[in-house]
Amino acid sequence: MDLRTLASLGSGTGYNFGFLDELSKKAVRRALLKAIAIPGYQVPFGSRELPIARGWGTGGLQITLSLVGQGDVVKVIDQGADESVNAVNLRRLIERTSPGVGLTTFTREATIIQTRHRIPETPLQAHQILVFQVPLPEPLRVVEPREEETRRMHAEADYSRMWVALYEDLVRHGRITRAAGYPVLVNGRHVMSPSPIPRWDVPRLHQAEFLSLFGAGREKRVYAVPPWTDVEPLAFTDHPFTVERFDEPCARCGSRTSYLTVIPDERSTRVVCSDTEYCDEHLALQEASR
Amino acid sequence: MNVAPAGPWALRVVGLGKWFGPGCDACLAETGPEAGRSTCPRCGTVVACAGVSFDLRPGGVLGIVGESGSGKTTVLRCLNGDLTPSEGIALLGSVGGGERDIFTVSSQERRQIRNFHLGMVYQSAREGLNLRISAGGNIAERLLAAEWREVAAIRRRALTLLERMEVPRSRMDQPPATFSGGMQQRVQIAKAIANGPSVVLLDEMTSGLDVSVQAGVLDLIQEIQRAERMAMLVVSHDLGVVRLLCERTIVMKNGRIVEAGLTDQILEDPQHPYTQLLVSSINA
Ligand SMILES: Nc1ncnc2c1ncn2[C@@H]1O[C@H](COP(=O)(O)OP(=O)(O)OP(=O)(O)O)[C@@H](O)[C@H]1O
Ligand SMILES: [Mg+2]
Ligand SMILES: [Zn+2]
Repeated sequence: MDLRTLASLGSGTGYNFGFLDELSKKAVRRALLKAIAIPGYQVPFGSRELPIARGWGTGGLQITLSLVGQGDVVKVIDQGADESVNAVNLRRLIERTSPGVGLTTFTREATIIQTRHRIPETPLQAHQILVFQVPLPEPLRVVEPREEETRRMHAEADYSRMWVALYEDLVRHGRITRAAGYPVLVNGRHVMSPSPIPRWDVPRLHQAEFLSLFGAGREKRVYAVPPWTDVEPLAFTDHPFTVERFDEPCARCGSRTSYLTVIPDERSTRVVCSDTEYCDEHLALQEASR
Repeated sequence: MNVAPAGPWALRVVGLGKWFGPGCDACLAETGPEAGRSTCPRCGTVVACAGVSFDLRPGGVLGIVGESGSGKTTVLRCLNGDLTPSEGIALLGSVGGGERDIFTVSSQERRQIRNFHLGMVYQSAREGLNLRISAGGNIAERLLAAEWREVAAIRRRALTLLERMEVPRSRMDQPPATFSGGMQQRVQIAKAIANGPSVVLLDEMTSGLDVSVQAGVLDLIQEIQRAERMAMLVVSHDLGVVRLLCERTIVMKNGRIVEAGLTDQILEDPQHPYTQLLVSSINA
């Protein structure tokens, strides 16, 4: 075989539906089923190559591509925004490789929502699946660098060092400073990283109606929170878990019930909803009622 | 093995054995005090301990003495769950009505037993403590492992323990890396007893310390043992420590028990030639 033949074979345009071949998708789905059966437990899977770089959401994307079928409607957000470069790229890739699959920015319309670092403000329902992109799946890594040892700690539910880290944080700073990716206990058994979502979103995983799936491409792990599962942030009885508080409403839509983020403007900075679709909808409602 | 039901003991150990290596038919016969070695000459396996049996009564203090390499630490590590024993049974009076072999439970239950029923003081404070987190944090770790979830209560308990161990209040939020060896060891003891275990395992707790500091630590141990009625297993190669603390003593050599009985009797009238040698060396 000469180089030209090899190149032409390797560059065939005939992608499988959903880019991944069916066996790969099946392997991902099998890992997901195991993850759903053991809530919060990290299941290793054979992370595949994708035409985007690891660290750009390949874990979440593999889950989405393995699940998506005709009739599905997909939404992709990055820190709450549908129009960020990362979200647009992922959406385009799904669109091109999965003909017949719908794409949307409306949370209500979506059957699968792939997200980086946020949960949409609009409450999700039982028929919707939330797919998180996870950079660092191991919540115990901050207290234990060795993989062997973290595996043992999970197996024995030996989480005292994680608790001590929170205790030390509290003693040193008067409060627990951990913000994004706050560790949670899932189903009373496994400590899990909810991925770098703000504290704001953490309680929304508890006894949620919808299925949450988490994919870490680089670290080759998937995990899950099935519907109606306990998800409790690690906290002390006399220092309960709290979420971010905002003094002002959204500068754009006026919402007082959504998670806000600072965006640098030409002159000053503006504090607005991080969920752009929610903000648009809320703004439209405000204007309609005026 | 015939194990009697729950009796007047906090800890019962029957036929504990631990070896490092593949093991062969000759291992047991070729090692031990008569053979004068712990390593099997045929297969190279180290028989760190074998056939170790004893009872420790509730609130009692039992000593284990023996030369370096005789298997003392191995026995403690197997009991604490740091090592998986090769054979034997261990029962805790406080676990499963004294009828549950703690060596054969799941790793998760083993961790629970260790967190709620046992405490261990290691030979080196570095092993028993995280020297970079605060002294209070080290004690908190034990309490958190035993599912304490109220910070104020955790701090109250840590403070009480540190004060009893004569560690100044001001040290509570400092890392033990900055403490003297004696103070580190006292923090380690405070940590080991924090959750009120029924059995505390102490491995050479004074061996790294100055003689002047040793006496103070021993006094504190004795005081706390009496106050809390914890059973203790005290490993030492110092007969003086054992004489002070332990009503009963086991003498080990090459992984086996060569003599066991009341400490006074062993010191006054040792039966085994090895014990006689040990005793004469301190009386000299
Ligand atoms: N991980 C291991 N691998 C191989 N051999 C080991 C291991 N740990 C201990 N041993 C051996 O087991 C035997 C008993 O060791 P152990 O540490 O229990 O003795 P010890 O009585 O505590 O001694 P010391 O008084 O020096 O602390 C020794 O021969 C030791 O070299
Ligand atoms: Mg030792
Ligand atoms: Zn808004």
